[in-house]
Amino acid sequence: MELDLVARVVLLSRTLRSRGFLAGTGHSIDAVRAVREVPIGDRALFYLALRTVLVSRPEERAPFDQAFTEVFSLPGEGPLRSPEPPAQNPQQLSVASWLLQGDAEVEDGEEEIRGASVETSLAEQDFKTFDADQLEEIERIAARIARRLALRRGRRWKPARRGARIDLRRTVRRSLATGEPLELCFRDRKPRKTRLVALCDVSGSMDLYSRFLLQFLYALQGSVARVESFVFATELSRVTEVLRLRPWAHALRGLPGRGFSGGTRIGECLERFRDEFSSMLDHRTVLVVLSDGWDTGEPAALSAVMEDLRGRCRHVVWLNPLLGSPGYEPTAAGMQAALPHVSVFAPAHNLSSLRALERHLLL
Amino acid sequence: MDQAIAQLLQRLESEAYVADPAIATSLHLSLVLQKPLLIEGNAGVGKTEIAKVLTRVLDTDLIRLQCYEGLDASSALYEWNYARQLLHIRMQEASGTSAREEEARIFSEEFLLQRPLLKAIRHPHKPAVLLIDEIDRSDEEFEAFLLEVLSDFQVSVPELGTLTAEHKPHVILTSNRSRELSDALRRRCLYLWIDYPSFEKELSIVRRKVPFASEELAVQVVALVQHLRKLKLAKVPGVSETLDWVAALVALHAARLDATLVEQTLGCVLKDEADLRKLKADLAGGRVPLTGRAA
Repeated sequence: MELDLVARVVLLSRTLRSRGFLAGTGHSIDAVRAVREVPIGDRALFYLALRTVLVSRPEERAPFDQAFTEVFSLPGEGPLRSPEPPAQNPQQLSVASWLLQGDAEVEDGEEEIRGASVETSLAEQDFKTFDADQLEEIERIAARIARRLALRRGRRWKPARRGARIDLRRTVRRSLATGEPLELCFRDRKPRKTRLVALCDVSGSMDLYSRFLLQFLYALQGSVARVESFVFATELSRVTEVLRLRPWAHALRGLPGRGFSGGTRIGECLERFRDEFSSMLDHRTVLVVLSDGWDTGEPAALSAVMEDLRGRCRHVVWLNPLLGSPGYEPTAAGMQAALPHVSVFAPAHNLSSLRALERHLLL
Repeated sequence: MDQAIAQLLQRLESEAYVADPAIATSLHLSLVLQKPLLIEGNAGVGKTEIAKVLTRVLDTDLIRLQCYEGLDASSALYEWNYARQLLHIRMQEASGTSAREEEARIFSEEFLLQRPLLKAIRHPHKPAVLLIDEIDRSDEEFEAFLLEVLSDFQVSVPELGTLTAEHKPHVILTSNRSRELSDALRRRCLYLWIDYPSFEKELSIVRRKVPFASEELAVQVVALVQHLRKLKLAKVPGVSETLDWVAALVALHAARLDATLVEQTLGCVLKDEADLRKLKADLAGGRVPLTGRAA
């Protein structure tokens, strides 16, 4: 094989790695082996072979096409120096024309090739720039979390009529009565009953996000009974029943008015929650607060109620959309007061942060 | 070597599977690089079918591990046949063999229940095709365990020692993306994404699988299903729904599709009540293309 070709395949996998692909330098060898398997000069198969080895997630397909065109359209010696992309792939044609506008400057061996990367794809897009019709993925993630909440099995075993494993100890014990192990006893894993209680801030400062977070709660609510939802700004309202209404437009109409200009009284709202609904909390409950922490109330009161709530449930998860902005520090007085009593402090401003949430909520 | 992919494509076709270069390339690479192939795509695009066809092409056995929540090592790998062991002990009580002999006996391969993974590793004569179906339905602990098995294809059974693969199986994993798979697993696999087929591809699948359907009917149904996939449906019809539908229409002796027939047989292709209602409204309003022209 031409040396130039090997160098370019390696350059491609390094480029992909620098753009957040899973595959990378370690995959170079496989990539080189793969292109040896295709007929020389068959550009379409050459492309498919590299894609098979170097792409590992659906989101990586478009950025791969881009990087492929960039790397194999570079001027240089070798059999593949034609800047024309394979004719089979219309997507690449458009990429090529974009390239010809001179937006890519590349040097061999350099990893700083500019262009769209996986990071700038939908998964990372901030909710405040989302359109209403991009909600599908939010629903998918919510449905996934909901399903796992409902089905997750714990580590402990309990006796069962028919189960995954034979319970030898009970089998032997029962056999003492007859002298024979006539009846097999089984054991199975206990379902782990996690429950979520979500409190979503819908005040003006959260307006750009609360729409998506509510949609997320709506989707969660649709699949399991073990989710309780509340919204708050200056007052707290329970919206579990409202979010059970289908379709979304219907549920939306049932929600209390949003965007109060008076600001948020987080502390007071949490106090009301504690006084009226704390019976919902137990050692299997995860309390989720979705808020930016801009509180107009007394920080000391917020701190006290957070400490109290924390003692009554398994975890307190605080999701702050601002945490996704570069350079954000949780300096708001309310946030400062609440933080010491929070077990997980995480962003919630885009799809990948919601995906990461799966882990926190299933602790 | 140059022609290997083209040949594989041909052999897939001769097994009545309508493949394309992307599928053939991934399968070929998975065979020669000996890496597992992870196939993702929406439900009903024929992911599982690929493993079955590959099995026929290679003339070997298909060993299938269907994943589900709570699947654990003992149901995937091996388990001792406790019931048989207990029975054996009772039978031997009178014979006076020593406890040590007895123990060696009941922990021999004879009392080992081979589950799919071990079966694939121990497959005699030639490599089997191991299909790990819907890996996204298993939980993370199982995925980690699977990674270990896939990396060295050997299993140690404390009582027996290490069992090594005589022939490393060809591994195909499928996922519907109901949960994110770990990066480690993705890195280990080659990757293939399968989309819903194009109009032409789906039409040739229909011709292949339901040869008795009239050309006009096949074209109409495929065009309509392609149209349905563009609507926002709760449950998008897959290729198997298309085939069911055509087969049902053939059974009704239909030579071409009309609005009444669509309404009567819509249940073959739409499985969600709200979707059915929506399409019936569209039908009544004349918003459903029945001409058979690809959009």
